Amino acid sequence: MTRFETSILATPETISALTDKVMTYLEEQGVEGRTTHHVGLVLDEVLTNLATHGNCSDRPAKIAVSVEPDKVVGEVIDTGPPFDPRLAPDPSLDIAAADRPVGGLGLYLVRKLSSALEYTRRNNENCTTFAIARGE
Amino acid sequence: MEIHDERIGNTCVVTAKGRLDGGASATFTDRIGGLIGSPKPKLLIDFSGIDFVTSAGLRAVLVLVKKVNSAGGSFALCGVQDSVREVLDITGFTSMISIHAARADAIAALAG
Repeated sequence: MTRFETSILATPETISALTDKVMTYLEEQGVEGRTTHHVGLVLDEVLTNLATHGNCSDRPAKIAVSVEPDKVVGEVIDTGPPFDPRLAPDPSLDIAAADRPVGGLGLYLVRKLSSALEYTRRNNENCTTFAIARGE
Repeated sequence: MEIHDERIGNTCVVTAKGRLDGGASATFTDRIGGLIGSPKPKLLIDFSGIDFVTSAGLRAVLVLVKKVNSAGGSFALCGVQDSVREVLDITGFTSMISIHAARADAIAALAG
């Protein structure tokens, strides 16, 4: 198992740079393209949600990504208010563009692309862990 | 994010390249939104150079779709990569917008 660790203040620019870095790391580790894409996307969405709602622009989030034989596991630890990404409501997808609200898709993608999604609150921190199954 | 635009017949064809995420979505919306002017605009975005689209990127696409639709125009994508296509499928965008494999097919569909 190999592991990538870092911490960032979540802003659109730092999230973009981090996701790019993580995806390059996964490619170097020989992780499949589709898995690499999904890890990058889920990580981006979790951090973007934190940047938007987490109220912790001056407190860095800790990020770890581990490559295992059958999956890649990502972990984000932040000091924002308690927030369980598993409980966010699903958006309505079967409506026309004109009526469709602009938003609500990020955490939906997190839930749909993850093979496992866990959340714990400890020591006043949110710990969100996701797994993306390998293959393809 | 690199954005290039050209006019083919009465269709505005935009080629975008890079990551369509929270860091790029405002530029994407502003730049392409500024090209939507005439009544009944026809807008095609060639996605073959886009390898990563987040929910912020989807929002940017939706803003453009709404702008084109409210002007009575038509909108299409072409050249969507597999991973991005999967994201469009999951979020219901595939059934909401016109998507073509080849640019020529998309231009023909918009012209008709």
